Amino acid sequence: MRPVVLLQPLLFIGLLLALTLPALASTTATGDHVKVRLITPSQFAAGQTTTVGFYFEVDPQWHVYWQNAGDSGAAPRFDITATGATSGDIQWPYPARLPIEHLTNLGYEGNVAYLFELTPEPESTSIALDINLEWLVCKVDCIPGFGQMSSQWPVADTTQWNKSDSDKALLETFAVRVPQEAAGSPWQATALSANTDGSATLTLNGSGPAPEVFPLNGDWLGAQAPSAMPTDDGYQFRFTTQPGVSAPASAGFVIAQQERAWRFDAVPLGGDDSTVAPTTATTALWLLLAAAFAGGVILNLMPCVFPVLSIKVFSLMQPGVSRRERLREGLLYSAGVLTTFALLGGLLLALRAGGSAIGWGFQLQSAPVVLALAVLFWLMALSFSGVFEFGHKLMNLAGGARGGAFATGVLAVFVAAPCTGPFMGAALGAAAVLPAVSAMAIFIGLGAGLAAPFLLLSASPALLRRLPKPGPWMDTLRQFFAFPLYATVIWLLWVLGKLVGDIGWVLGCSLLLALVFALWLAHGAGRLRTALAVVIALSAITVSGATLMRAEAPTLQASSTLWQSYDKTAIAEARAAGRAVFIDYTAAWCITCQVNKKLVLDTDHTRELFKRHNVLAIRADWTRFDPEITEALEALGRNSLPVYAWYPAGSTQAMLLPQLLQERMITELFDSE
Amino acid sequence: MNVRNPIRPLLFAAALSVPSLSFAVATPGESAPAFSEVDASGEMHALTDYEGEWLVLEWFNKDCPYVRKHYGSGNMQALQKKYTDQGVNWLTVISSAEGKQGYLGPVEAKAEAESHNLNASSAFVLDPDGNMGRDYGAKTTPHMFVINPEGDVVYAGAIDDNDSANPAVIPDSHNYLAAALDSAMAGEPVAEPATRAYGCSVKY
Repeated sequence: MRPVVLLQPLLFIGLLLALTLPALASTTATGDHVKVRLITPSQFAAGQTTTVGFYFEVDPQWHVYWQNAGDSGAAPRFDITATGATSGDIQWPYPARLPIEHLTNLGYEGNVAYLFELTPEPESTSIALDINLEWLVCKVDCIPGFGQMSSQWPVADTTQWNKSDSDKALLETFAVRVPQEAAGSPWQATALSANTDGSATLTLNGSGPAPEVFPLNGDWLGAQAPSAMPTDDGYQFRFTTQPGVSAPASAGFVIAQQERAWRFDAVPLGGDDSTVAPTTATTALWLLLAAAFAGGVILNLMPCVFPVLSIKVFSLMQPGVSRRERLREGLLYSAGVLTTFALLGGLLLALRAGGSAIGWGFQLQSAPVVLALAVLFWLMALSFSGVFEFGHKLMNLAGGARGGAFATGVLAVFVAAPCTGPFMGAALGAAAVLPAVSAMAIFIGLGAGLAAPFLLLSASPALLRRLPKPGPWMDTLRQFFAFPLYATVIWLLWVLGKLVGDIGWVLGCSLLLALVFALWLAHGAGRLRTALAVVIALSAITVSGATLMRAEAPTLQASSTLWQSYDKTAIAEARAAGRAVFIDYTAAWCITCQVNKKLVLDTDHTRELFKRHNVLAIRADWTRFDPEITEALEALGRNSLPVYAWYPAGSTQAMLLPQLLQERMITELFDSE
Repeated sequence: MNVRNPIRPLLFAAALSVPSLSFAVATPGESAPAFSEVDASGEMHALTDYEGEWLVLEWFNKDCPYVRKHYGSGNMQALQKKYTDQGVNWLTVISSAEGKQGYLGPVEAKAEAESHNLNASSAFVLDPDGNMGRDYGAKTTPHMFVINPEGDVVYAGAIDDNDSANPAVIPDSHNYLAAALDSAMAGEPVAEPATRAYGCSVKY
């Protein structure tokens, strides 16, 4: 006991009781699954404000709530009567979103301290507190708890904490999570709007990955995590609202990022979304369109598009093709590209409107589509090699020369899909969350970019004249072009194997063999042999197609000891435990992903780094459609691959790495540690 | 080789998988979602049965502390009595799934109604598949809805403005449900037609 306390017999007795008879101590309360302790110094300094707090120790998996509890549950209540001091409002550390079955709650997984300030009144020599507490602790079921506390503390020259200061340190760990004044925030809330579809949009300006945003009050805004859409200057967050509740004049938010948080008490409501910051929206759209166009142009150079295009350029250079015919070819090709992009855009929008999550490249998640593409490329390659005349038979099959140009356009879009450049990834990610018109504009922009070089070439004789004159070299070139096509077939078969297992390889190769056999059979032969060849080809296609439809998904094998397959719970647990998490969103049909994997991720260097820093390495395989992975990608604002998400130890925010990885980037992740 | 053909099944699948674009839950000012459920006595209740009459829907879970707050204090039964005496129909719905907290079979439900002195217009309405609860967007127990004789929702939300589990706060709380019923039945606009429901999550 401290001498100063001995001078005050009454206090001494009070403190003695509090310290020696913990069962009667009135600074604690207990209930089912919860222990509450009021943490204060043992002595307060006169005239000095001290932060004290209620420390809730909660059983694992049980939780208590934030000031806005979310869809269900209730915030704890603190009824504090202070004598000899003034007490401040409760300071709530920023919460986490807790999914509880069909609802979202805002609260704390694990222990938490609710803080408040105490300032001794002038001349007062002691502080007394009388506190009534009420709380709700929930797992799925909820149990309310009640408690009373009352105690006194001396006021003297200095603040005294218990010997080890551990209590003070404990309060400080929660104090840093209490939201600070908005003025110090790297984010600025620039607009809040109530939308006609019942959602609400908050616009935040700032840079870096999207922060977490929590509404301070649940009367109007839903607790569900808002979707974040990048803008020029930051993000737009779209919240759900309570059905039928009319929008208030303003709403408060807490914005949290990297263990820090800021409070925006009243963001005024500024009309509906059509009136909010139209200029920002337009510039953002123009930028996105430009990026989409540039992405489309770059697509022409992609390994999977280039061979297809070269076929077309080749046909333009045929002798006897008039200028008008060339232009018509170019326009038809452009029409094919634009139509396909528009259809795909419409499909994406329809699925999005229906609540289905879908990503770019999804057409390569369907085994029959992949098989059809493999067959198509195989036939084209054989034709190039001179096994049979592509121009006469296959092109006619595709609907004559004009239809051919249109079909080339369609084809170019389909095979370009998996080769999304970095431009296209961002544009498409935005398209997934943009209003329908803007999203469609981006698709058209991509299509225009893809079609432009070819159209230019077909429209401008000057440009085409700069291409070499037709001659025997063209045959050689044509034969050469067969090889990238064969390579594409190999890649498609490999994708097929990934999609449906070994049977995919066998079926695909057998079908290709049957087709070559049919071609050989029909070559320069009579009607009977031709008929037989057609029967063989058709039955091979039917049988393999039907078998593929029935083929079982391959059983997922753990790829390695380091990399684990996607598991939402494991990720959440690791992050909660303060472990760093690296997620590689990948797919067999994504070539960039394979390159990154080979050159950067599956190297001894990376493995060793990840192991040393105890990183949870997750390989999210999107080769086949997976709703959870699609959802996770959407949360990151992306819907095309590759995506590399890095959650530093203890951080709540993902950092996205560039689409083209380098070992240096992985090393840098750990430099700060 | 027409490449559009293989895409057709995808388009079809897409067209089929696009559900209705509205996920309407019971929203004040709009028509109430239809329902048709059996109560613990085996009697059928449908929205259409209550055309031209006032109807209150209440979501219930016997083990929820917030339900206990209003039943233990007699508050809910008093409201039920007060308004059913004025000709209002009152259905108390249990949407807990079998095996989850608050689930009651018909026999237990009748016993529970007895011990709770339930004053609703019928035995507990049993919605173990949660269809009615989900259609109404019932999030918590209790969650209250008022439907007018035209079949429109006039109130959806909490029973009152105090989300404490302590029954002692009831006398000082503002009862949203009573206020909504009193205004609506007097032909006046409801001051607060939608509020955030509080309580335990419905155990679908």
